[in-house]
Formats: sequence, C-alpha cells, structure tokens
Amino acid sequence: MLQQRNEKAFGYLYDNYSGALYGIVNSIVTDKEIANDVLQNVFVNIWRKIESYDSSKGRLFTWMLNIARNASIDEVRSKGFRDSQKNQSLGENVNFPGAVTGPAIDDVGLKKVLTKLKGELRVLVDMSYFQGFTHEEISRALNIPLGTVKTRIRSALIQLRTMI
Amino acid sequence: MNVKEYISSGIVESYVLGLASEEERREFEQFCSQYPELLAARNSFELALEKQALENAIAPAVDVKSKIFEQIAGTGKVVTMQPAAIKRTNWFKYAAAACVILLAGSLYYNLTLYNKNKVLQNNYDTNIAKLNSVEKDIEILQQNPNIKMASMKGLDASPQSYATVYWDSTSHDVYLMTNNLPIPASDKQYQLWAIFNGQPVDLGVFDMKKEKLLIQAKNAQGAEAFAITLEKKGGSLTPEGTMYVMGKL
Repeated sequence: MLQQRNEKAFGYLYDNYSGALYGIVNSIVTDKEIANDVLQNVFVNIWRKIESYDSSKGRLFTWMLNIARNASIDEVRSKGFRDSQKNQSLGENVNFPGAVTGPAIDDVGLKKVLTKLKGELRVLVDMSYFQGFTHEEISRALNIPLGTVKTRIRSALIQLRTMI
Repeated sequence: MNVKEYISSGIVESYVLGLASEEERREFEQFCSQYPELLAARNSFELALEKQALENAIAPAVDVKSKIFEQIAGTGKVVTMQPAAIKRTNWFKYAAAACVILLAGSLYYNLTLYNKNKVLQNNYDTNIAKLNSVEKDIEILQQNPNIKMASMKGLDASPQSYATVYWDSTSHDVYLMTNNLPIPASDKQYQLWAIFNGQPVDLGVFDMKKEKLLIQAKNAQGAEAFAITLEKKGGSLTPEGTMYVMGKL
C-alpha cells in the first residue's frame, strides 16, 4: 500500500515511527532545530525512495533507520566543511582530531546502551555507527590495524546485542 | 559453511546497523536466501532493534508532519494554486483542460519510465548474480594447482558434443562443464561416470542448467577417464544408455 504512495498510509507510518527515528537523529545531530529539519528530510526521502525498499533485505523499519542514520551523519559532516564540499561523502579530507572525543554521549536510546560498553569498544562503536567513519578511517585515526578494528567492532556489536 | 559460527561473528548486527562493507552485504544477502537460520537471526535482531527504538522514541516538533506533507503533496496543489488568477473566460477553461491533459500525460510517461527502470534493474541484478556465480566457478579452477582436466569428445551418437571434467586429485571433487550437449528428452537424464580400474563408477545425474558454468558431481577417488551416457530419469546403477562423450584424464 505504501509502495503505491498512499498518503494515508504514509501518515500512519509517520505517526508510528517518527518518534523512534527522531530518537536516532537526536543521538547524532545534537541541535534540536536541525534535528527536526533532518527528520523532515528523512520522511520526504522515505516517500520518494519507497519503491527502492526491498523487503527481502530487511524490515521496513531497518530501512528507514538506516536512511535516518545516514542523513544525520551527512548533516553533521556537511557542517564541518559546508563551504566547498557540502555534498561530499566521507573521504580523504575528513579531520580526525575531534573524532575520538566526539560530541557528548547523551543518555538516550542506543547511546544509552553504548555507555555500558568498555571504554575502547564504546569509542569504536561511537565512531563507526554514530559518526559514520569507515573501518579504514578509524584504523588510521586511532592507529590500530584494520583487522583489529573490524574484530573489535564486531565483538562490541555482539555485546550490544545482548543489552538491547 | 558453519551457519552458527557465521551468525555469532557479529555480521548480523553489522549488516542490520548498516556497518557492513559492500562485499559483506552481498555475501550476507546471498546466505540469507540459503540459510533460514540466518534469516531468522536477522529478523530477530531487527525486531529487537525496532522495539528498542520505539521504547526510546522522542516526539519531534509538532509542525514537522505538516511540513513533510506540504513538501510531498504533488498533484493536488497544481490545480488549486492560483485562485487569484481565475478569470471566467473560455480561454482559462481551455488552458486548464490542456494542463490536466499534459499532467496526465506526464504522469503516464513517468509511470512507464518507472516500470521500465524497474525491469532494467531486475535484469541487472540477475546478471550480476550470474556473473558472481561464474566468477566463483572460475576461481575454483584457477586457484587450485591440483585440478586435472579431461576433455570429453563426442562419440558416434553425437559427434559435435563436447564436455569437460575438472578433477581435484587431492580433495577428489569433480566439476563438470557441459560445453555442448543436446537437450535430452524429458524422461531422460545425462549421467556422468568415472572409469576407474576399468570399471564405470557413478558420479551422478545432472540437469542442463544454463546459468551455472560448473556442475559439481559426486567425488571420484580415482579415474583414468570420464564419460557421459544418456540414461532414464534418475540414472542407472551401471551405464545402460548411449554414450555421448568420453575423454581420458
């Protein structure tokens, strides 16, 4: 029904999931006003891209959650170099010094779960999930071998799995 | 593949949270279609994540919803947008009619393009999947130094037939490539044999599948030669039907 772009169904989707998606946007974009703008874009994008949702690849919520996460990370990133490279995806030009400390972790949602992780694992999940750094970028920024980054993130995710 | 080990490696979480690499994603999606356990694990994590997110929902600003609907409201607006400009002339009626026709035409055209695009996308996905399977097969052949090859030439029954067997002398795996074999009648099937110590050893029947480059047959402990006969559906214990191709190792 939704894939036929039914506005009523879309309204229902918004009523049920906007809060959950706003939660994830909020944990990445700290400014409330910008977070509301991001959420607006997220839903407009959901509306526009709904045909590309493939139910064999996962639940609708998962798909929407990933759109919300990506849009939030893009927003935070574009602020960093908004002048010339607004739409550039994560690349070589990313600055790392601030990355390790990052924005303060609020005690809500997934981020709250995150605080239960051990220090280093928490930094790794924060960098990859909430800040959108690739494994390669984290490896270079923290000077940890790529393979180690990957295994540690995986083990952090397994721990998170038992906590949510 | 050990599914349990794969599931407990963290790949499920990594995939669902969008942290897996492009290659990992492709592999995961393929395995999901093969292993129901993996699909169940993915689904259960997705549900847990959804539940967690719903429990931690934060209400957005109240005007967000109306802003979204303003932005997506498409066609309804075009008609109601210029009440001030309405002049009750015939000219306006014709223009409005023309607009509606143009709009309908444009919608139809968009829909056609959209459907076309969908078909193309499906074809593309199918082709990529085929290509991946072929690449995997080629890898098996290229990276293994123990692979021996037997070219099986057509015999009197069908001189233009041709097939190739690749035999791994250490693992004893047998792969068959049907380069050229006539399509058998529906009650018949081809059967592959290894000739070992002068005796035919059954390596199984096979169907002609165009999308697969290599067919994996039963293992062969040893072989001097390989041959394919046409047998009744399901195969025979010893070769009874016509021999189509044969080749020495």
